[in-house]
Amino acid sequence: MAERVAAAHGPIAAVWAGVRYSYPLVLVLVAWELVARAGLIRPLFLPTVTAVFEQFWALLLEGEIVAPLMVSLYRAFAGLALAVAFGVIAGLLMARSKWVHWALDPLISIAFPAPKIAFVPIFILWFGIDHLSKILLVAFTCVFPMIVATYHGAVAVSRTVIWSAEAMGTPERKLLFRIIFPAAQPYIFSGVRVTMPVALIIAFTAEMIAGGGGVGSALMFAQRFFQTPTVFVYILVMLATGLVLDSVMLRLRRRLIPWDDETA
Amino acid sequence: MAVSVAAWSPAGARSNWLRAVWHYLPIAIVLLVWQLAVDLDLVDRAFLPSFGATLRALWEMTVNGEIAVNLLVSIYRALGGLAIGSAVGVAIGLAMATSRRADEFFGPLVATTYSLPKTSLVPLFLLWFGIGDVTNMLAVLLACLLPVIVSTYHGVKAVPAVIVWSARAMGTSHRLILWRILLPSASLSIFTGIRIALGFCFVVTISAEMIAAKTGIGKLIFLYGENGAYAYMFGGLLALVIVAYAADRALLAVMNYALRWHDSIHAAHGDG
Repeated sequence: MAERVAAAHGPIAAVWAGVRYSYPLVLVLVAWELVARAGLIRPLFLPTVTAVFEQFWALLLEGEIVAPLMVSLYRAFAGLALAVAFGVIAGLLMARSKWVHWALDPLISIAFPAPKIAFVPIFILWFGIDHLSKILLVAFTCVFPMIVATYHGAVAVSRTVIWSAEAMGTPERKLLFRIIFPAAQPYIFSGVRVTMPVALIIAFTAEMIAGGGGVGSALMFAQRFFQTPTVFVYILVMLATGLVLDSVMLRLRRRLIPWDDETA
Repeated sequence: MAVSVAAWSPAGARSNWLRAVWHYLPIAIVLLVWQLAVDLDLVDRAFLPSFGATLRALWEMTVNGEIAVNLLVSIYRALGGLAIGSAVGVAIGLAMATSRRADEFFGPLVATTYSLPKTSLVPLFLLWFGIGDVTNMLAVLLACLLPVIVSTYHGVKAVPAVIVWSARAMGTSHRLILWRILLPSASLSIFTGIRIALGFCFVVTISAEMIAAKTGIGKLIFLYGENGAYAYMFGGLLALVIVAYAADRALLAVMNYALRWHDSIHAAHGDG
């Protein structure tokens, strides 16, 4: 899919490839604009693309884009950071200790498929409607995929490497931090890349359900007052945020784990 | 997701029955700790109803039909959206993998919309279709569509070209190649995509119900939460967790049965 753009040589060829690549998106936008302009659908239901971009610019100048986005990003990343910290520790321990494995395995198999977003009312009850409940809900959702990713990474470490280290008298703690943790990093990173969009989705969705600031509640607010262009603006902001963060993660991966071939 | 079906159990626990008890013992311990923490007043009852109270509330809601009615509505929305989304997703993924033109058209659209939280479309659909099944199922459908497209695409692309060439050389028709070679070879990948979509379909259904709905298990949990009937809120949540777990296990069982001829099904068993 995207490889074709990267494969193009030279600046002109690259631009041409970019244009060719994005033609379906342009097509969709043009069709949207034409349908909206032709008056087939009332602007209340489908505003023109230009109206949406005008509204985007107006909101941007009023600071109604950046401020809520920062709130949402803070919640998503704080939650993700907690999930990564706990998930990596729990995953490593599960791989090294059969007792931890015994205790956590059935709990994870129940918690993994559970729709954690349904816990919103409980988290509101326990932690209020501000930052804390959203951060913890994000962490609660993301911690299970992180545990599983870390566990798989730690289990995949070659036995011979571990045996050699043990034969040379490496203590368990050093084994964990100097050998297993670095070896599991590509898996952990894949886990973070997969969980990051989840963190964003949960932060946005929790805001849509419970309010309390952020892009999600701004979106619901606009919908309640039938400000359709604003609704579209915030949807596009969420879309762009996800895209930007994913490409940042891909770049980070190439920078941080250059020895790992797998870039997917 | 079972990380792995734990082979480790104490030396005495030879029989399957004992092994199952041993395997699920941690869950029983957690429930016991929950009950004791409330009984011994270590936590405030107002914030955490006991496990017993939760079970009683769940039983009461089961008897008066509240659970069944709302759960069925939610399952209908979730699985309906999943079914349509999967069917369309397989078709688009297959088209992308076999036709360059389809790939060039859908590829950029899939890549751009993949990271959009599909729940963000709920307010828009509310505007277009109002509160109800259409809004809910449409969001579920879109959320399920993308992982199935991507996994179908990669599954079909991974089919060795030699096999397709051999079939073609022997005069196999295009349609037969599709049904007898491409889809069966890609089926493990497609099932993996559907399993991801199964997780999404419940999340999106519940989210949409909590954002705006008149019925559904998500709405029920949310209403009890708002009214401060926390034992009932926990009871509804418990029912939902059980259903989501059962659905995941059921899909795994179907997958294992349908793909029992597949080499890697045993390697992929239980996780993915």
